[in-house]
Amino acid sequence: MNPPFHLAKKEDLKHIGIGQVDDSAIKARTLKLMDEFRKFSRSFSAMLETCTRCGTCANACHSYLGTDDFNNIPAARAGYLRAIFTRYFTWYGRLFRRFSGAREFDDDTLCSLVSYFYQCNACRRCALYCPFGIDTAEIVLAGRNILTSLGLAPSFIVSIARNEILTGNNTGILKPAIIDSCSFLEEELRGETGLDIKIPVDKPDSEILYLPSSSELFTNVDTLMGAAKVFHHLGVDWTLSSVMLEAANYGLHFDLEILKKQNRRMRVAAAAVGARKVIQGECGHGWRVARMYSEGADGPVNFQLEHVLDFVAARLQRLSLSRLPIRATLHDSCNYGRGTGLLDSPRLLVRACVEEFVEMTPNRERNFCCGGGSGLLMDEMKDLRMQLGKMKAGQIKDLQPLDYVAAPCASCKAQLPLVLKHYGMGDTACGGVMDLLGRALVMDNERRIEGNATGNHVK
Amino acid sequence: MTHLKVNGKLIELNDDGFLVHPEDWSEDVARAYGALENIAELSEEHWKVIYYLRDYYERFRIAPMIRKLCKDTGLNMKEMEHLFTPGPLKGACRLAGLPKPAGCL
Repeated sequence: MNPPFHLAKKEDLKHIGIGQVDDSAIKARTLKLMDEFRKFSRSFSAMLETCTRCGTCANACHSYLGTDDFNNIPAARAGYLRAIFTRYFTWYGRLFRRFSGAREFDDDTLCSLVSYFYQCNACRRCALYCPFGIDTAEIVLAGRNILTSLGLAPSFIVSIARNEILTGNNTGILKPAIIDSCSFLEEELRGETGLDIKIPVDKPDSEILYLPSSSELFTNVDTLMGAAKVFHHLGVDWTLSSVMLEAANYGLHFDLEILKKQNRRMRVAAAAVGARKVIQGECGHGWRVARMYSEGADGPVNFQLEHVLDFVAARLQRLSLSRLPIRATLHDSCNYGRGTGLLDSPRLLVRACVEEFVEMTPNRERNFCCGGGSGLLMDEMKDLRMQLGKMKAGQIKDLQPLDYVAAPCASCKAQLPLVLKHYGMGDTACGGVMDLLGRALVMDNERRIEGNATGNHVK
Repeated sequence: MTHLKVNGKLIELNDDGFLVHPEDWSEDVARAYGALENIAELSEEHWKVIYYLRDYYERFRIAPMIRKLCKDTGLNMKEMEHLFTPGPLKGACRLAGLPKPAGCL
């Protein structure tokens, strides 16, 4: 097996509670898992039974358009699983075998599944264009769950899931480091504004638990600093939590049990600080899980759940903003645009922060994926990821000269600077929406500093 | 499994090229990594960053925020990128014998 990424080793999988299956048992196990998925998720079997191979999805898919690899056409990608499903779970497949599009389960099929299910960013753009509404991302994620149960998952995703389980954040930051980092950022904020702006950690009786995105205490600190400034200005009673420092939930990408575990962690974290509201930061997949799969998978929550961009947009009137002299655009994270309908608030905020706002074409729910979503940020896939980012690069190129791409998702923030550099647009910065707000906000008694908006090119 | 040859001894590396056993680190390991990146000789600034990272990791079991790393070593991002490929995050951590930083990075 030679997938474009490193497979997790047996001992690494064991750390997150996943065993490996002997080669001789793989086929039986796969079919059993497919059968379970078929019964558990009606949409899964409906979508596997429905495709007419009309090919509409081909031109909707940034992965196919960027790699020019036939197997990356959504219908072809899902087709690997569809052919097995047809062979073993439909009467016509059992009877007519390959004449009905059925395929025997063999090593080649398994290798293709591993390779191509991880060249899909699960962006769901194909679902928007498919005349039947087939969501290949859902098939891909089901397929990835099955592969995980066989002991086949990328080392990159497994190591992050392990950190989430052990520490509640992707990076594996422990409480002493969280405190140290937040103290440092408070100092920075004091130096910048002259104000005593807090970034509280585990503050009891807080009204709001804030879950920033992965890497805001590592690379994208401007996003967290922007949020701290805005919260300070609005007089919000908030805290971070060392139980769950980030909105991220990598379970979505490959394992439902881990997804549920992280959901439960969010409840524990909210209860620990007594929060009545949980606000999620700029994390695309994290917001999709919280919004769409938290109560569905783990039952009702006893707090309100809101995205920081909606929260701030609803209070925009109370912010005094001095527009930054830049030309900026907004990249709709797939998990916002097609996953949760978070479309208007980010626009409202970016427009309010900059002198010139321009839209990409297409945009909103039709926007192209950056190529970094669904856990594909591994270094060894960088060349492939640049192909996955080709359509996005084209969209941004059309807007040049451009100063800033606002991308309110940590995966997009990790991927886009590389895409911009790769496609000759290294002068265009990329960062969050909260970063812009932090820079444009005119605070009381503030000693404004000179400078314009620059993003994180920290890679 | 890949290896790094240091003074005739083979040091075990993981798939990402980071040390499997952190205790294998020595200044010679850092130099050997440097040679892989075509750094003929590690400068004083390299060592400053390497030892800052090692000290921070020793205390907090994690690499520091890039912004803190820059501020405390007095180097800006451009200088960091110039010193370490592919950047301070992965490049410098590797030379310093730290684990590869994980997350949406």
